[in-house]
Amino acid sequence: MTQQDYKANTAVRKRRVYMRKKICRFCADKKLHIDYKDVRTLRYFVSERGKILSARITGVCARHQRSLTTAIKYARHMALLPFTSSHVLSD
Amino acid sequence: MQLKHYETLYLMHSGMSEDDRSAFGGKLQGIITQSGGQVVVCDSWPLQRLAYKVRRQTQGYYVLLEYGAPANVISDITRELRLNDQVLKFLTIKHGDKFDAEAILNAKQSVSAESVSLPEAALETISSEEEG
Repeated sequence: MTQQDYKANTAVRKRRVYMRKKICRFCADKKLHIDYKDVRTLRYFVSERGKILSARITGVCARHQRSLTTAIKYARHMALLPFTSSHVLSD
Repeated sequence: MQLKHYETLYLMHSGMSEDDRSAFGGKLQGIITQSGGQVVVCDSWPLQRLAYKVRRQTQGYYVLLEYGAPANVISDITRELRLNDQVLKFLTIKHGDKFDAEAILNAKQSVSAESVSLPEAALETISSEEEG
């Protein structure tokens, strides 16, 4: 590794350190409840493919991430959310 | 017997007539009330597209029941839902060991009064992070 590469790497790492801390929106707003029937809210926490986004990306705290995961899985079971985008009805 | 707070959501075949649907809903409610339970919410959703095909169906009617019932009623309701082949999907969830009809109704009203949706700004931050 050249000196320049090394510098570039440290620069990337430094930027990471100063990243703004995300706030869990369910902790910030106590009125928000996680409900498996509320598909509009759940869609924000699911990728385009239908995969559950990690808490690292959405900034949700661990406790709410756990209840989100179960809510998304309930919604999938009830055909409110897709398991995968390839099964989504296209007509 | 002590009542517990339950919620059942079930999905009915789109070809079912309105009379049949309400008759089936009444049957389920009858099971609950006969055993001393109390139905608080009975909400039929309009015909809705499904996220994926269920038994070759692309749409269906959801019905939401929220009720207080003794624990042994759940097996009766589950059996009823299983036996009816017009029911495509169902899900029963226990909300808590305590059942208070007024508290549930009050909570419902306060939620509907306030907007539950997330602010648009929050949406944008997530989508931009996804790309990066």
